[in-house]
Amino acid sequence: MMNSAMADDNNQAVASLEPIAMAALDAGRLLMEAGASAHGVEEIVDQVARGLGAERVDLRIGYASLAITVGIGNEGITRMRKVGNLGVNQRVDQELRHLADRVQRRELTPAETSAQLEGLVAKTPRHSPLVMAVAVGLACAAFGRLLGVDWAGTGPVFLAATIGQFVRRDLITRHVNVFICATAVSFLSSVLGGLGARWAGSQTVATAMIASILLLVPGVPSFNAQNDILEGRPTLGSARAVWVVVILIFITVGLGLGQALLVEGH
Amino acid sequence: MDLLHLLHQTVCGALAAFGFGVLFNIGFRSLPWCAASGALALAVRTLCQEYGWSLEAASFTAALAVGGAVQVLRSRTNISPNALDVAGCIPMVPGSFAANAILGFFALAAPNSAGATETLITAVGYALRVTFTIGAIGTGLAIPTLLLRVRVNK
Repeated sequence: MMNSAMADDNNQAVASLEPIAMAALDAGRLLMEAGASAHGVEEIVDQVARGLGAERVDLRIGYASLAITVGIGNEGITRMRKVGNLGVNQRVDQELRHLADRVQRRELTPAETSAQLEGLVAKTPRHSPLVMAVAVGLACAAFGRLLGVDWAGTGPVFLAATIGQFVRRDLITRHVNVFICATAVSFLSSVLGGLGARWAGSQTVATAMIASILLLVPGVPSFNAQNDILEGRPTLGSARAVWVVVILIFITVGLGLGQALLVEGH
Repeated sequence: MDLLHLLHQTVCGALAAFGFGVLFNIGFRSLPWCAASGALALAVRTLCQEYGWSLEAASFTAALAVGGAVQVLRSRTNISPNALDVAGCIPMVPGSFAANAILGFFALAAPNSAGATETLITAVGYALRVTFTIGAIGTGLAIPTLLLRVRVNK
């Protein structure tokens, strides 16, 4: 009889902790996928879990998964969640921080928090593909000038990077593997940039080809890798660093193929 | 000091940071802050290089300046400090060095590669510069954040 009562209490505690753990994990997963560093993820997950009523929160952040233990009194549960592809989306990051502030002020229940998290990515606005492509083209052209591309080569870099960004977005929408996508876009942009620069009479064709692919350089992951290591998470930091090295190799393969094609063609 | 060169580098840094800000889906109202962050980074780096500093030392100082400025202005910008300082420092990432280093290593692996010693030295040189420069930028950005965190925790 007594054992049955204890089991009931335990089940009730687990039932109340379950939605807290899942809401906190969802917030952490979305933050990871939006490109936050491990410290940012830990901060927000802790804020959400405690705001929903947890007294103890322990989080383990892996490259492809998150695990959390939440507890109230003597009871506690551990749950794990898979993390998807890591990208960069600052507005999602910002929205998640606003949501975490509301949870901390006890304005939302666990169910309401989960409902808000579910629609958050879809509801958060993104720049249009055209604006994004033109901005990326502009950034690569400016990058090119910083690297020493002459004015004749700057226009072709702008066009090659703009087209490259369009193609990249399309490939990502079709769920093409991120490494294959990097090689394909790198090849296309470097060839277009090189051909355009040569046609425009540029004296810096090789640098223009490199500038055309700089949209692919994984800046945020490389800074996050270093931050994570500096903040005492060497495992996650190393995993991110390995990803950065591998994507750089794939980008360079595309560039190398492009250079080979132009040299052969010449 | 060549002021025209300084202006050119500053404007290019601002444009590159602005463009990457759009790619990172930063809102339109916050994009001028990204441009300002990139402009500051390139202005400081160019000034340091004008005084004969190495790329690594100049990048470290520029990242430190950006990290410090972002922490000071964090209440005004309505944007995550992490995103703002990363967007500002992206134009300093030595992507072309990384590409040249990896291409050099590929060339070494090719059959009958001529001038292997020179190619190896060049590729290793590029790889070291990439590593040190990214390390310098990351450390320069992290120091103001970590110092502020210590102050908040106290």
